[in-house]
Amino acid sequence: MITGEQKPVEEIRRMIAPYKRILVLGCGSCVAECASGGEKETAMLASALRMAARMNDEDVVIEEMTLDRQCVMEFVIQLDKVIDPYDAVLSLGCGAGVQAVADMYPEVPIIPGLNTEFLGETKAQGVWAETCLGCGDCMLYDFGGICPLARCSKQILNGPCGGSVDGRCEVNPDIPCAWQLIIDRLDKFGTLDRLEEIYPPKDWSTKQGGGPRKIIREDQQK
Amino acid sequence: MINAKRRKLALFYCQNVPESREKDRQALEEVYSETISFFPMPCSGRVEPVHLLRALEEFADAAYVIACPDGACRNFEGNLRAKKRIERTKSIIESIGLERERVGLMVCSKENPRPLAVLAREIMDRVLSLGPSPALGPEALDDEEKGI
Repeated sequence: MITGEQKPVEEIRRMIAPYKRILVLGCGSCVAECASGGEKETAMLASALRMAARMNDEDVVIEEMTLDRQCVMEFVIQLDKVIDPYDAVLSLGCGAGVQAVADMYPEVPIIPGLNTEFLGETKAQGVWAETCLGCGDCMLYDFGGICPLARCSKQILNGPCGGSVDGRCEVNPDIPCAWQLIIDRLDKFGTLDRLEEIYPPKDWSTKQGGGPRKIIREDQQK
Repeated sequence: MINAKRRKLALFYCQNVPESREKDRQALEEVYSETISFFPMPCSGRVEPVHLLRALEEFADAAYVIACPDGACRNFEGNLRAKKRIERTKSIIESIGLERERVGLMVCSKENPRPLAVLAREIMDRVLSLGPSPALGPEALDDEEKGI
């Protein structure tokens, strides 16, 4: 899941200031799961912005709508029926969603209402944690299903560093030591010998070495 | 001068509050028809920030929630959730320049449980001291408050 957090209202108000008719556009997928850009959050932000506008005697129209997904054309196209009257769209989608909407409606300014954060999982109610960097060359098999790049503060491939205390990271005691988790998992499955291998520095060319990445699947294309 | 009749309160309350049955609400609505909108809920944990924000946006000078005391929620943690959501709503309205006190929580007392009518009156007194909400715009003021 892609996680995000709403930008401060002050920053949002600054960005939408030049426009008179604004559509606040939520996304019902990842950012709804992390409670930053779903239907509820969209309604809350739109309400707050309308009140702020009224308090500052600003003559603006702010309306709201939530798409199931902002990053898929088949969902974004629903805006065709409604987008005409608006000067700008304030998107509560992730960065991919904002850009997908902007691609489809190049004449309309699409303003980001969220700061997109990371690929993560829901650890508990109200807690989301980064667990994947999307490196393009998954090494989870080698490390017992725990990614040392995403979850070790020092991104060590040949750990542990030796600094953890009671299984907590020395850089940030709020997080568990990824290498403690890796060793515990490998030990549990009797595969600790995998750590006898010396891992070379990560080859980052599969992440952004060749610029923005693209996946093309001919069998999925029309 | 504050015109009590012009102030509006959105009051969300847990139906486990003493004397908050349907007939009690109807009786209270007759008394406060112009000033309080009552929203009964099966538990205060049902309240969401968007409910309070919508009330403030559309008609209310203040939006309050009445919840059961700590440790006395029939759903165990509904009142705790309500508390957190009210805090969240307070920070949202503060970010747009509206007073935090326009949203609030009234927790019933475990030792001295008071009926809904008493709690509603107490909250209304607090709301009157806040004056008209700027979030409702000048249309919400009467001529006297506009200085006409």
